[in-house]
Amino acid sequence: MQIREYVIRRLLVLPIILVGTSIIVFTLGRVGGSPIAIYLEHEMTPAEVAEIEERFGLNKSLPEQYVAWVGGALRGDLGYSGVSAAPVMDVLPRRLAATLELAIAAAIVAVTMGIGLGTFAGARRDRLPDHLTRIFAISGAATPIFWFAIVLLIIFWVYLGWFPVGRSDAAIFASIGHPTGLYTVDALLAGSWTAFKDAVWHMALPALTLGYGSTAIITRMMRSSLAEELNEDYVDAARAKGLPERLVLRRHARRNALIPTVTVIGLGFGFLLQGTVVVEIIFIWPGLGRWMADAVLRGDRATIMAYVLFTSILFLLVNLVVDILYAYLDRRVVLGS
Amino acid sequence: MRIPQGRYGRLHVLVIIAVALTLVLAACTTTDESDETTTTAEPTGTTEASTDTTEASTDTTAPPTGGVNNPGLYVHAADDEPLSLDPAGVAAGEAGETVILQVYERLVEIGPGGPDLIPGLSSEVPTVDNGLISEDGLTYTFPIRDGVVFHDGSALTADVVKFSWDRALEMDLPEGNVSVLSDLVESTSVDGNNFVVTLTDRNAAFLNSVVTAAVASIVSREAVEANGGVVAGQPNDYFSANAVGSGAYTLEAWNRGETIELAVFEDYWGEPAKLDVRIQQVPDSDVRVLGLRAGDFDSIETDPTFITDLEGVEGVTIFSEGWLLEPVHVGLNLDIQEDLLPPEDTIPADFFWDPKVRQAFNYAFNYDNFIEGGLSGLGGVVPHYLPQGMLAYDDSLIRYETDLARAEELFRETGWWDEGFTLTVLVEEGGIFETAGLVMKDSMAALNPNFVVNVAAVVEVQFDTAHGEVPFPYAAWIKNADPFADPAALFAAYEHPDGEWGSVHKFRNGYQDADGIAALIDEAAVSIDTDRRIEIYQELTQLLYDDPMWIIPGNERALMAHRSWVQNFQMNPLWPRPSLKFALFDK
Repeated sequence: MQIREYVIRRLLVLPIILVGTSIIVFTLGRVGGSPIAIYLEHEMTPAEVAEIEERFGLNKSLPEQYVAWVGGALRGDLGYSGVSAAPVMDVLPRRLAATLELAIAAAIVAVTMGIGLGTFAGARRDRLPDHLTRIFAISGAATPIFWFAIVLLIIFWVYLGWFPVGRSDAAIFASIGHPTGLYTVDALLAGSWTAFKDAVWHMALPALTLGYGSTAIITRMMRSSLAEELNEDYVDAARAKGLPERLVLRRHARRNALIPTVTVIGLGFGFLLQGTVVVEIIFIWPGLGRWMADAVLRGDRATIMAYVLFTSILFLLVNLVVDILYAYLDRRVVLGS
Repeated sequence: MRIPQGRYGRLHVLVIIAVALTLVLAACTTTDESDETTTTAEPTGTTEASTDTTEASTDTTAPPTGGVNNPGLYVHAADDEPLSLDPAGVAAGEAGETVILQVYERLVEIGPGGPDLIPGLSSEVPTVDNGLISEDGLTYTFPIRDGVVFHDGSALTADVVKFSWDRALEMDLPEGNVSVLSDLVESTSVDGNNFVVTLTDRNAAFLNSVVTAAVASIVSREAVEANGGVVAGQPNDYFSANAVGSGAYTLEAWNRGETIELAVFEDYWGEPAKLDVRIQQVPDSDVRVLGLRAGDFDSIETDPTFITDLEGVEGVTIFSEGWLLEPVHVGLNLDIQEDLLPPEDTIPADFFWDPKVRQAFNYAFNYDNFIEGGLSGLGGVVPHYLPQGMLAYDDSLIRYETDLARAEELFRETGWWDEGFTLTVLVEEGGIFETAGLVMKDSMAALNPNFVVNVAAVVEVQFDTAHGEVPFPYAAWIKNADPFADPAALFAAYEHPDGEWGSVHKFRNGYQDADGIAALIDEAAVSIDTDRRIEIYQELTQLLYDDPMWIIPGNERALMAHRSWVQNFQMNPLWPRPSLKFALFDK
């Protein structure tokens, strides 16, 4: 099969998968409770409940409701978010940007610390620095994230007053435009050093909290890979040529050790996105995780369904792109199809 | 100390260092004792929202330590976010009322020293004596205050007041609280600069429960007409997210999930506010406590479980005077459908019909454990059936106390002592309701090991869903009562055989004299003779003690933690949660 046919075939199958996904999401949103639970009060009469149901079109048949919901989604209308008292599409992009920004910052923390510590430890295998590094990294994986977050708040917010909570200083945030929704990027675009500093300062603690947990995996992978690379013949050859050890490490061994580590980093980013819920709640970060937790606890099914549909579509599209890239990188994928 | 040699010796040292570091970090989380310690005020047994009487908070000079954070801005950390800011669409007790209280005004208001009413947008509080309430108690005349402007610059008139009330009635949103108006108001009219309301029936609670309610807030007519107008049965999207009132604050911004920003309204007709306000959404209770300690928050939504974290903390004052008008209730179901109960329950449909069984549960409950444990000592037992601070309350009113001997006697008389039973009580997980459920469980088990109470703790939305089901699918549930300013509304909802809960739980299956109780409640609701009302409610207290439809584990004190630099701090439980009017504060 040619690549072109492969891509066309994947694109033709995509709408079918999307329809199936939407049916599953819609069905799950109707199971196990009222879709308008967030608006219901115990003293409401059945007539009042029916009135609210009619307002949201819930008095129609399920197929009619599904068609209306999908039709709205195709027009960019994913419904009304009860917990935010606003249309979902007014809220979701901002929340997504906040979570993405936090996850990227946490990934930077995790990658910087992980590669740095892994290199440090791998070059000193089985010596004291290696043990210390591994304890530090493993503690990140073992420490409950909510506990670590609270400890950081106690030390750096309550006692030292070095870092704030929340995403921004309201006045500084309002002083610049937000074309991307990423506060740091928007600050740079606006040329506002004050806003940039405000963004980074507010992000420091939550990013550190979220990133610390991922550091362990990256550290261990980097350490193991580097230790293996340092035993390779080409490293012996480089040393024999008289290269300083630091150059052997940086120019040769580390580069090769990064290959499996980058794979782990890529996988870890997905876990980072999932792990933002607790961090967003504790650091009062207005992201997707906290939004969803609120929606689940308050029974706002419209918001939950919109989020699940949006992320499902995003996931499908990303996978499609990845599969197409694989097809270009490895022809066996196409031939095998 | 000689450090062991070799790799494993060094490892031992490392482990010791790590453990030591952990202990140091743990030590950092303990609270500080301080010379600036403030103590909680002694309970006064009233709902008077007096200022905190501790030394630090009456000091009106410069704050004792470290300056003031956020000068010019008052930051309150809230645990909940509004679903709507529209007076016509906000439910009673919902977070939107917090904003409505600051941004909008009503014809009369409950004063800071409440429960007495003070003029609001009406220049006088109607009474029979001043002729603004008709002799038959059906017509109320409100002379509208001159010189009041809304936040959009439009002027307040009697026509605008009528428009506001008619708007809420016409929209008639089921998720709102308009029934308090529609159940009573027959018509509204304008007579010169007076707003006139005619009721369908006399109601003693009309002024303090209806006119002061959020739904009766006065909105700018111009703003409504410019933003969607009035559509019957439909919410107004603009006013769900914006507010144009005449209050001391304007709504500057609602950053969902983050903050609600209020600014001082410069053209306010009354005493202007001194500080702008930020209501910060902080869902986690521990973070609210930390933020107060850090000084980033000036006050936080608190409950008794946080008090141990805040007592003795430098710069923090715990306001504890007056009582919440929301006693914790254990609802007993007299309309049990056995096929709906959890499979492990063994009680029959008529389990709670016998008043002796209900009395026995009341005698068995360990009130001290709940009040000292669940409420951290910041609560009290409620007479059956008038909470502290409400009209007709008296310290001498009879109330249940734990009496295991009497409980056993009653269970023996009813035949349950030897047979035993298992039932399930539904509660919201976490917080004092779950604690009350566990106290109930332990109380019954301590009385008789054959009395098994299972506590089904669920998240809020699951509780609300089950709570609204008719018939109710559990034997009992636990929640605090809705807050009412007047006993008429409280009794109508919680004790009347045909009221809100009377009809759901079929009180008529259990009351020994349902018609008699109904007659007394109805008479007190329409009487404008205060003395007669007090007499009736006190008589009802005795009747309901003998024939209880609820277990009342306790009533919480009005409680709020705030920074000591806040001046003029006042809290009135008769105001919507968090019972604060920010315009009164300074720092």
